[in-house]
Amino acid sequence: MTDHSPLERRYRRWLALYPKPFRAEREDEMVAVLIQGADPDQTRPRAREAANLATHGLRRRARGGRLPGDWERAHANVMFPVRIIIALWLCLISAFLIVYHRGELWLLLIVPAILLHLYIAYRIRPTAIPR
Amino acid sequence: MKRRTMQESSFLILTALAGGSQHGYAIVTDVEQISSGRVELKAGTLYAALERLTAEGLIEFDREEIVDNRLRRYYRITRDGAERLAEEADRLRANAHAALTRLRPGVAIS
Repeated sequence: MTDHSPLERRYRRWLALYPKPFRAEREDEMVAVLIQGADPDQTRPRAREAANLATHGLRRRARGGRLPGDWERAHANVMFPVRIIIALWLCLISAFLIVYHRGELWLLLIVPAILLHLYIAYRIRPTAIPR
Repeated sequence: MKRRTMQESSFLILTALAGGSQHGYAIVTDVEQISSGRVELKAGTLYAALERLTAEGLIEFDREEIVDNRLRRYYRITRDGAERLAEEADRLRANAHAALTRLRPGVAIS
């Protein structure tokens, strides 16, 4: 990669919006695509091309810079039903406790725990991965 | 499990790769041709799609070459990818058929 035309340097500056590990793997490849798509006398990235790089670069960064690995995917898939079962189990326990300790409102503290488990279950639901 | 509808860019990239492995820029030009010039993939969009399709196991890395000092990475469609593309194409054909049939009742459409 000895060619460092002004156009290439400018493209690389836009690509700097992507997270580092991604760039280490993809930057040269993407520069090749960008340069090939450019006009021969072009010295600046087209505005729409730059905006597209900025959007995807920042989105990629927001995601934590990587896709979940196989292990994380498998973990999420296993944990999803477990979370649901824990939430249901808490519902059952609290129902029993409320019946036996009528009028003790502190038992409502279990509700946030149930909601938390449902929320986590929702976040790791199998269809939410990898996106 | 119900599958989500495939994004058009994914559909076109898989279609491009269904004809054989290709590198990034070749995919861009092929997709443009397949879509009759309607879809111009930008680099950011292309690489987000390639990454997603790879993660879903629909495409995979094939090989890389250096041409004119530039890195070219080739991608190919996997068996899962080909199956998924065929399913999606069937679905689109069924929808198109339904639409055309209702727009022109009485006319048989192949």
